[in-house]
Amino acid sequence: MGVEGIGARALRKEDKRFITGKGKYTDDKVLPRMTYAAFVRSPHAHAKITNIDASAALEMPGVEAVLTGHELVADGIGNLICGWMVHSKDGSPMNMGAWRALESEIVRHTGQAVAVVIADTQELARDAADAVNVDYEELPAIVSASAALLDGAPQLHPEAPNNLIFDWEIGDEASTDAAFASASHVTRMEIENNRLVPNPMEPRAAVADYDVAEEHYTLYTTSQNPHVARLVLSAFYNVAPEHKLRVIAPDVGGGFGSKIFIYPEEIVALWASKRVGRPVKWVSDRTEAFLTDAHGRDHKTVAELALDANNKITGFRVKTVANLGAYMSLFSSSVPTYLYATLLSGQYDIPAIHANVKAVYTNTTPVDAYRGAGRPEATFVVERIIETAAREVGMSPVDFRRQNFVRSFPHQTPVIMCYDAGDHDATLDAALKAIDYDGFPARKSEAASRGKLRGMGLSCYIEACGIAPSAAVGSLGAGVGLWESAEVRVNPVGTIEVLTGSHSHGQGHETTFAQLVSERFGVGTETVAIVHGDTDKVQFGMGTYGSRSGAVGMSAIVKALDKVEAKAKRIAAHLMEASEGDIQIEGGVLKVAGTDKKLSFSEIALAAYTAHNLPEGMEPGLKEGAFYDPTNFTFPSGTYACEVEVDPDTGKTEIVNFVAADDFGKIINPMIVEGQVHGGLTQGIGQALLENAAYDENGQLLSASYMDYAMPRADDVPSYQLLTTETLCPGNPLGMKGCGEAGAIGSPPAVINAITDAINNNDLAMPATAERVWRASRGALPQAAE
Amino acid sequence: MDIQGEHRIAAPRETVWLALNDPQILRECIPGCETLEKSSDTEMQAAVTSKIGPVKAKFKGSVTLQDLNPPESYRIVGEGKGGVAGFAKGGADVHLAEDGTDTILTYTASAQVGGKLAQLGSRLIDSTARKMADDFFRAFSEKVAGPQSEELATELQDELDPALAEEARHIATEDAAYHTADAVEDVEHAIEEQLQDAEERVEVAAGRGFLGGPYMWGLIVLAVMIAALAVMN
Repeated sequence: MGVEGIGARALRKEDKRFITGKGKYTDDKVLPRMTYAAFVRSPHAHAKITNIDASAALEMPGVEAVLTGHELVADGIGNLICGWMVHSKDGSPMNMGAWRALESEIVRHTGQAVAVVIADTQELARDAADAVNVDYEELPAIVSASAALLDGAPQLHPEAPNNLIFDWEIGDEASTDAAFASASHVTRMEIENNRLVPNPMEPRAAVADYDVAEEHYTLYTTSQNPHVARLVLSAFYNVAPEHKLRVIAPDVGGGFGSKIFIYPEEIVALWASKRVGRPVKWVSDRTEAFLTDAHGRDHKTVAELALDANNKITGFRVKTVANLGAYMSLFSSSVPTYLYATLLSGQYDIPAIHANVKAVYTNTTPVDAYRGAGRPEATFVVERIIETAAREVGMSPVDFRRQNFVRSFPHQTPVIMCYDAGDHDATLDAALKAIDYDGFPARKSEAASRGKLRGMGLSCYIEACGIAPSAAVGSLGAGVGLWESAEVRVNPVGTIEVLTGSHSHGQGHETTFAQLVSERFGVGTETVAIVHGDTDKVQFGMGTYGSRSGAVGMSAIVKALDKVEAKAKRIAAHLMEASEGDIQIEGGVLKVAGTDKKLSFSEIALAAYTAHNLPEGMEPGLKEGAFYDPTNFTFPSGTYACEVEVDPDTGKTEIVNFVAADDFGKIINPMIVEGQVHGGLTQGIGQALLENAAYDENGQLLSASYMDYAMPRADDVPSYQLLTTETLCPGNPLGMKGCGEAGAIGSPPAVINAITDAINNNDLAMPATAERVWRASRGALPQAAE
Repeated sequence: MDIQGEHRIAAPRETVWLALNDPQILRECIPGCETLEKSSDTEMQAAVTSKIGPVKAKFKGSVTLQDLNPPESYRIVGEGKGGVAGFAKGGADVHLAEDGTDTILTYTASAQVGGKLAQLGSRLIDSTARKMADDFFRAFSEKVAGPQSEELATELQDELDPALAEEARHIATEDAAYHTADAVEDVEHAIEEQLQDAEERVEVAAGRGFLGGPYMWGLIVLAVMIAALAVMN
C-alpha cells in the first residue's frame, strides 16, 4: 500500500481477514468455564403465563440454572426503554408499556422470552429449554395496527388505552386544508409499506463475563454502538455502573439498524453471568433472529396531494398508522415521526404540509430502525404520489417533477428540515441520460412485439442523514446527543492510531478513515490503524447508523487531525527555525516553503515524544482528541430510474436496467460508496419485489425462516449503473453526505412506479410478487382474456 | 386453515359410529399416535408424534367430543402441546350418512398452529394435515370394514398370484439368447406392464397388512424383477 488519500479507490484493508475466514466475531469468543444460554420462548402472540415448571430441566445433567422474570425483577434489573420521547398532538407524552427482559406475566408477541436456561453446552441448554414446561392461558391477539385502534380490539398494555402509543402531528394543518380547498386537482392514494426483517448475515450474539474479584462485567456483543449499549445497560437496566462494565463489539457481520438496540438477550446474558458465576454465551439462531430482531417499516398511509391549475403542488396531507409491535424498542418512536414526516417534502417545493402519525401496539415483534428508518417510508409515499399525480394530470413524470423541484438553497420545508445544498436537476439529467429515457418508447414497442410489458419508473429521493445535531434532536425528544468523538494518537515511530466512536460492521471504516490520515500527512494507509468497538479503548462514541460515520465520525477525525497537524507544524517550525506558517506537509515530509529544509513526519513524532527540544511551554506527545457535533443533517439526494419488463403470462418482473444517480457530496472512496449503494439498492428492490414479514391473524409469524422469507438473490437484480454528481455539504469540513441508506430509501418507489407503468394499473402493493403483478396486470390487459 | 373430506366406508353406520368412539381403534388409526386413553365418555388424552417439515415433536393433548348426535354426527376438538415445537389445536365436524350398506363419512376440520410449527412449517401444514386425515380415514375404513376388504384381497390374490407366478416362471426359464431383438422388446414391454400392475396391487394389499403383509408381496416383486433383468441382459 502507499499513499491513498481522498478519492482513491483503495482496496479494503479489512477484507483480507473477512474473506479468508479470519474475522473475529462474538461467537468466536471462547472463555474458560463458559456456559451457554438458551431462551424459552412463547409460542403464543398474546397469552397469560399461568405457570413455569423448570423442574425437569433443572434435573438434567449439565444444567446450571433456569432463570425467569421473577429472579430478574428481584435482582433489580430494569425494564427496556424507548430513548426518544415523542408527544402526542395534545401535548401528552407517549404511552410506553412495560417491557421486561424476561416476561413472567403476559407475553405479547410470538417468540418473546419467558425463561433462560444456562447449561454447560449449547445443545444441553437447548434441550433443557425444551424441557421447561410453561402453561399459558391464551388471550385474543391483534396483528393489524389499524384494527388495533378500533373499539373492542384486544388490549396490549394498560399504559396505552386503545393500543395507541401516540397521536402525533407535524406541519400546519390550517394552511394545508386551505391549499386543498382551493386545489384544482387532488390525488389521493392509500399506500402500504410492508414489514421487513433486517437479516444481517451474522445473527445477534453475546458473551458476558462477570469478574467476581473486580465486580466488573465484560460484554462481547454484536452492537453497532457499544458505548450506547453500555450507557443504556448502566443507566436504565441497572446491570452495572459504567466504570464496571466494558462493552466490546468486535467484528460484526452487518446490522442495518437491527444491532443499534439493546435487546433482552444481552441484558439477560450479563445478569446471568453474575448469577451463575461463569461466563455466558448466547448466539441467536436464524429463526430467533426473525422473531426478535427489531423489524422495519409496517406503515399504512393515506396521502393526498393538492395541485393548482398549473400543476404546481400546493399542499400535501398525510395520515399514517405505524405499527410498532408489542413493545417500544430503543428508538422506535423517532422512526415514524422525526425520521419520516420531516422528509415528506421530498425534492419539492411544497408550501403546506400536514402529517398525522398514529403509533400503535400490536402482538408482533417490535419495530424500529431498519436501513433508512422512516425515510424509505416517506420517499415511498412522496414518489408514488408524485408519479401518480403526474399520470392523473397527463403530464410527463419528468416534467412534473421539474416543475416542482426545490432549486434554491438553503430551503426551509414546512416540516422542520432545512435543505442546505443540492442540485436535483443534475441527478435527474444524469439518470435520464444513462437509462436512455428518450429511447424508452421504442424499447416498449419492441418488448410489446415479444408479448412483454415494459415500464419506466423514476424516484427522486432526498434524505436526511449524518445523524444528527445534538441540540436539534434534543429539542425533538432524543435522550442522547448525536455527536461523534475521535482521537488521533501518533506513536513515537510515526505510525498512527485513530480511535473512533463510529463502529464498522461492514462499512469499511478501517480503509476510508485511514485514507483521511493518508491524505493529511502523506503517509501510507498501512501505517494507520483504526481502533473502534471497545469502550475501554475509545472513551465515548455514538456508533454507526443513520449514515453518520462519514459526515459525523470522519468530521471528528478531521478535527483531531487539525490539532495534530498544528502541533506537528509547531514542532517542525521550532526544530527547523522557521515560521509555523511556512511549514508545508507533503508526502510524509514537513518542509519549510521555499527552502530545502525538511523533516519527516516520523522524525517530528519522535521529537514530540523524546521531548528533548520542544517549543517553550509545549507538552510532550502527539495525541489529540476531538468531538464533532454537526450543525445540520446532511441531505443526500438523487434520481433512481428503473426499467422493468413484465411477463403478462406469469407476472414475473425482470429489472432490465437500473440507474442510480446520487449526490453524496465529497466521496472519500468511490469503490466503498458503490458497495454501499449496491447493498442499499438490493435491499430496496428486495422490499419492492420479494420481502415480507407475514403474520397470520393469531400473531404467528409465518415467514420465520428463509423457506418463507424471500431475500433478494443475485439473479433478482440487474447490474446497476451508478453515477454521482457533487454538491458539497456546507455543514461539515469535508463536504460529505451519507451514502449508507440512500439505495434502500430511493429504490422501492422506482421499482413500483416502473411496474405500474408497465401493467397500466396503479393499484399494486409491495412486495410486487409475480402473483400480485399477474393479478394486477390482468385487470388492465385487453389481451389477458379470462 | 380448513380442510374437508369425504370417505366411503364399507360398513353400516352403527358400526362406524361405535368405532369412532373406540379409543383402541382411534389409537391404531391416528398416524403417530402412541397413547390414547379415555378419561370420560367424551374426553380422551393422547400423545402423538408428528413431523411437519423440519419440525418433529411429540404432542401431548386432550381430545373432547361435543355435540354428540349418535349415530349421525359429532364434533371433535383437540389441543396438543409440542414443547418448543409449538402447539396445534383444532376441531372437526364429522357427519355420517347411510348409503345402502355403506356409510359416507364427511368432515370439515379447522386447525391452528403456533410456535416453531407455524414459523417453519406453515407452508407444509396444509398438506401434512390432509395427508394425516387421509391416512387416518384410510386406516379407519380398513379397520371398520375389515372382513370385506380381506375378501377383496383374497380375490386379488386368486387372480394375481398365479398370473404373476406364471409370468415370472415363463420369463425366468426362457433363454434370451434364442430370441430375436423384437421378441426381447415385446417381453420387456410385457414385463414392464406386469411389473407396474403388480406393484400397484402389492401396494394396495400390503397397505392393508393382509396376505402375509408387505414381506410376501415384496418377494413376488423381487422375483419378477430378477426375471426381467435376466431377459434384458
